[in-house]
Amino acid sequence: MSEAVQEKMTRESPVVRRESPLHYVIDTEVSPGESKDTKGCAVVLREVQAKGYLTLRGNSNEASFTDGVLAALGVSLPTQPGTCLKSDDISIYWLSPDEWMLTTPGGTEAELQARLRENLSGHFSVVDVSGGQTSINLSGDEVHGVLKKSSAYDFDELVFGVGRCTQTTFAKATALVSKRADGSFDLIIRRSFADYIFSWIADAAGEYGFKALREI
Amino acid sequence: MQRNRLATGGRIDRQQSVSFTFNGKTYQGFKGDTLASALLANGVDVVARSFKYGRPRGIVGHGAEEPNAIFQLGKGAETVPNLRATQVELYEGLDAYSTSGWPSVDFDVMGSLGALGRLMPPGFYYKTFMRPKKLWMTYEHFIRKAAGLGKAPLEADPDTYDKLNQHCDVLVVGAGPAGIAAAREAASTGARVIIADEQNEMGGSLLASTHSIGDQLAATWLVEQLAELSALDNVLLLPRSTVFGYYDHNFLAVLERRTDHLGLTADKGSRQRMHRVRAKQVVLATGAIERPLVFANNDVPGVMLASSVSTYVNRYGVAPGTALVVFTTNDKAYQTAIDWHQSGRIVKAVVDSRPAPCGAIVKAVQALGIAVITGSGVIDVVGKKRVQAAKIAALSDDGQEIRGEIQTLECDLIASSGGWSPAIHLSSHTGAKPRWNDSVVGFVPGESMQQERSAGAGKGTFSTAACLYEGASAGVEAAKLAGFGDGLVSFVTPSTQELPEEAQQALFLVPHTKTSSRAPAQFVDYQLDVTAAGIELAAREGYESVEHVKRYTAMGFGTDQGKLGNINGMAILSKALGQSMPETGTTIFRPSYTPSTFGAIAGRDVRALFDPERYTATHRWHESKGAAWEDVGQWKRPWYFPRGSESIHDAVNRECLAVRNSVGILDASTLGKIDIQGPDAAEFITRIYTNSYLKLAAGKCRYGVMLKEDGMIFDDGVTACLGENHYLMFTTTGGAAGVLAWLELWVQTEWPELQVYFTSVTDHWTTATVTGPNARKVIAKVCEDVDLSAEAFKFMDWRDGTVAGVKARIFRISFTGELSYEVNVPAHYGRHIWEALVSAGEEFDITPYGTETMHVLRAEKGFIIAGQDTDGSVTPADMNMNWVVGKTKTFSFLGKRSLARSDSARENRKQLVGLKTLEPSTVLPEGAQIVNDPNEPIPMAMQGHVTSSYFSANLNHSIAMAVVKGGLTRMGEVVYCPLADGRTVAAEIVSSVFYDPKGERQNV
Amino acid sequence: MLQIHCPYCNETREEEEFTYGGEAHITRPLDPESLSDAEWGDYLFFRKNPRGLHHEMWNHAAGCRKYFNVTRNTVSYEILESYPMGAKPSVTAETGDKN
Repeated sequence: MSEAVQEKMTRESPVVRRESPLHYVIDTEVSPGESKDTKGCAVVLREVQAKGYLTLRGNSNEASFTDGVLAALGVSLPTQPGTCLKSDDISIYWLSPDEWMLTTPGGTEAELQARLRENLSGHFSVVDVSGGQTSINLSGDEVHGVLKKSSAYDFDELVFGVGRCTQTTFAKATALVSKRADGSFDLIIRRSFADYIFSWIADAAGEYGFKALREI
Repeated sequence: MQRNRLATGGRIDRQQSVSFTFNGKTYQGFKGDTLASALLANGVDVVARSFKYGRPRGIVGHGAEEPNAIFQLGKGAETVPNLRATQVELYEGLDAYSTSGWPSVDFDVMGSLGALGRLMPPGFYYKTFMRPKKLWMTYEHFIRKAAGLGKAPLEADPDTYDKLNQHCDVLVVGAGPAGIAAAREAASTGARVIIADEQNEMGGSLLASTHSIGDQLAATWLVEQLAELSALDNVLLLPRSTVFGYYDHNFLAVLERRTDHLGLTADKGSRQRMHRVRAKQVVLATGAIERPLVFANNDVPGVMLASSVSTYVNRYGVAPGTALVVFTTNDKAYQTAIDWHQSGRIVKAVVDSRPAPCGAIVKAVQALGIAVITGSGVIDVVGKKRVQAAKIAALSDDGQEIRGEIQTLECDLIASSGGWSPAIHLSSHTGAKPRWNDSVVGFVPGESMQQERSAGAGKGTFSTAACLYEGASAGVEAAKLAGFGDGLVSFVTPSTQELPEEAQQALFLVPHTKTSSRAPAQFVDYQLDVTAAGIELAAREGYESVEHVKRYTAMGFGTDQGKLGNINGMAILSKALGQSMPETGTTIFRPSYTPSTFGAIAGRDVRALFDPERYTATHRWHESKGAAWEDVGQWKRPWYFPRGSESIHDAVNRECLAVRNSVGILDASTLGKIDIQGPDAAEFITRIYTNSYLKLAAGKCRYGVMLKEDGMIFDDGVTACLGENHYLMFTTTGGAAGVLAWLELWVQTEWPELQVYFTSVTDHWTTATVTGPNARKVIAKVCEDVDLSAEAFKFMDWRDGTVAGVKARIFRISFTGELSYEVNVPAHYGRHIWEALVSAGEEFDITPYGTETMHVLRAEKGFIIAGQDTDGSVTPADMNMNWVVGKTKTFSFLGKRSLARSDSARENRKQLVGLKTLEPSTVLPEGAQIVNDPNEPIPMAMQGHVTSSYFSANLNHSIAMAVVKGGLTRMGEVVYCPLADGRTVAAEIVSSVFYDPKGERQNV
Repeated sequence: MLQIHCPYCNETREEEEFTYGGEAHITRPLDPESLSDAEWGDYLFFRKNPRGLHHEMWNHAAGCRKYFNVTRNTVSYEILESYPMGAKPSVTAETGDKN
């Protein structure tokens, strides 16, 4: 059985629950893009629907690597430090000169991994880290207040626009932060820190009015 | 009755009466008052008793410099100590207390002892209370009580605090004329500007100014400027915000008091907020602090700073007395005489130490009919709890000696001014060395060490016009250096109609008819009761360095950091040592500028948010089963699962027996996991571990020990070969991040030619360990696509398979010594797989167990835990683990050379052994020290210590692991552990493998 | 708190994102077994600890996880340069502090 087929089976098996890290923390379930009870909340946290996450490592100075990635993903690897390419399908985040985070719709991670492996040769590494991450989106008028309380990184519009990403400290954990065109921020965080980061944000945003939603 | 309140004037709101209590008595003030201005309005003279001598003290200043009116606010959990009344905004119901004076500030036992003061020269405590040494603690208790240092609340603080990280191009500290001009000019370039000021209103000296700027009153000009600044998107105004520390790389800490002016606790949001500002450029417009003159009895209530008298009159509409004597060395203080006169009260005289002052303002004062007594000084004060008269004498031209008769002038208020000391505190924080300036008669900021510049009075520039221009220039320069604007100053200085000033006189200690040591006390540092005589004595006793004198006399050691007294003290020391001020130098100011609360420093990193708590995917399941938790690094791991009223001992015994007799399940997800890929992966791992992985086949696992270069164990774990050039390394829970950084270190720095990549997958996997004789049967129920037979799936093998519908990796590795399967699935299926395994195990009474049982079971097997049985000072040989060290490896793996160092290879190193107490139920405490002879006199020769110790239900006796000198050659010997509680426990040295020594149970 | 420029992220970041890696440019001996205890001990334990310019290693632990080198003045804490692994410092005690 191929990995992709098995992954598909797993996904569709009626007995198997795929639980996001904030499954037990956020009560309000919404469908992707939907909002609920956010009136008067200047900060809204949304755990986005489960995605697949791959860590890709390789030498971006080698054409075989960058060409392979282009062939597999249809887009070029961002090689400028602190930049990302985001889409509803696949997003790529620069983590270091030889490391990228890829996100893909939940359940397609094995397929994407297989596609990368088919197109890449030589020294590279692709690792499925889907179980270890989650994405949260922070929006609202006071989102900068929460960011300033949480990170010493400068997220001012002048410095950090759409297309930028940064892996930095967030409270006493870390987060991979990027910005959406609508002015909201996406955070990719590690599963084991999700409860802590959620509690931190809820506390930081409390004075502004806060609502948390979980996409299913 | 606010008997000192003027009928008109001030920035207070007379429509809003505010009621407050001080030492239990109720008073009225107005909105806009500080606690100090309200107390003065009510004619409260004595507000404190002094630190050493219990002398009555009144309010001296009007800002951060106040040394006497330092109060405790509120009671219980909300109470706040060490607040300067001059900086406390009045609010309804404010409840303040003096912290000194016993039983009260009006009648103080220490003060009433009268001559006691004479007995307390500098070093008094060192000289008096240090013998016998053991009584110091007793003395200290009473000394502290008498000193009045305030009380910390005993209950948890009910308030919240937070921290905000700020970034700006230009931070302006201080919103007086210079600061406002700087902020305006910087902001006009488009730079991001923050301007912070410690007062409730921005404006600094302009708030009490009677001057005009251009064709406007200063107050009107101020309103316009602030309105314009507030309207700009690129400017953040922070009033009530003290920049209390200037740290490396232009990092400044700003404490914003958000609700302190409303009450002791904040209803919503944080009470105080720390702004952690990273500024590209800084403008320090911190102003200056007036310096009092040092004369006999200069601490009697009613002796105040001249500028403070003006401020109370002009800003608060309070005249703190009726008949004023101004004593000055400079032109500026004449303004106080004018302000007082215009308030309708009597100015008895201006006493000027200069022989022939004839500046414009002197003439202006004389024109008002006010007497100016030149070439003279106030040398003493009559009065105890309030000034009754000033004793005035003619002085020599240099002010150092008394010439002629003493006249007594009745008055109840003396406003003194010895000049102005620039507030160079923040500049000093950066390490800039202050420079003495003779014309300023003060220290000015030294050469900048960071991206900062000073402007205005903080730099020794005092006229409003010059401050405005200097501020504007500094703002332009700062913006330019931050990348904004052209650096050209287009600021046109408005006319301020300030009078030209004559030179001031450098006078600090005013002479008395008696020498300092015999004259009534001449106070230098009010807060810590340091006198001129005390400093002179220190000099006579041989102290020469200003830093030593500071420590010996305690000058500047109070919470006011000597804002008033330091320069005077240094001048007195200079004179005593016969040297100049630059030769004496200054002590170094350090953060905090004014005391800051611990709450604001802690921010929101308290209670549940103090440190991250990391949860596994099955955390809520454990929670629902009543798990007791153990913190392992930042992880919360189930410690044990008590049933009913079970104690930890009962629960762990039950769990241990269940694993060895049937089957148990452990959440091992917290173990570090690193995915390793690349053509040189095996070579790399072999260089890192003591054993070889070059021949490890896919589907196989191997245990390894990792050494630092010094040969000492730092982590251990199993590494599996997943496929060609692909490995998975397990690390200890606590070591995960450190090991990954260690691997990256070597490939990035020493061996970049090795092609290998590492990726942390710790969070990705949930690991459920099913262990015990029935483990295979449990797995068989949920996994159909793996041949689980002992022949097909051996110990130290791993297999891919499907467990309860989820693609899984199963490892046959064992930390219990039993048949074990570690089932790994992506963590989003963690809870699913866990529940499936528990249901499958029901018929075998599968028992969830925690870290305590895991520890006991592995100790029964003698398996070490890196970080518990090792402590960074043990080699594999010390752990009796030479079997894990490859002898034929070609590459000198990390730490190998160190194993041959003379100290690592010597005899009689501490070695890992088992200990069996002679009394089988006694469990040794971990950390217990081991000796050979319990009757040996102290200090006894230590032989080692217990590293792990438990009661083994399976063996029905206690077991311990220990490191003992030469232990491996001492089997069967009895050693002793003398315990802290007085018992001595005897134990026999045995093998560290207590259970199944041949290791058969894990291989079935 | 220092601000440190990471040559890989090409940004100046807060010290809290980094871990300190000690003196830079210490090369592991190629043949440790051929060294005396004293020579090996030099490599293991002895560091310059200068007053003034110091070349030291930092790891951008919360960012790109890369190690790099920094030339820092241990008196003023001024950081004069950051440079990638394998590169040589452009400011040394010999060439002098730019001050």
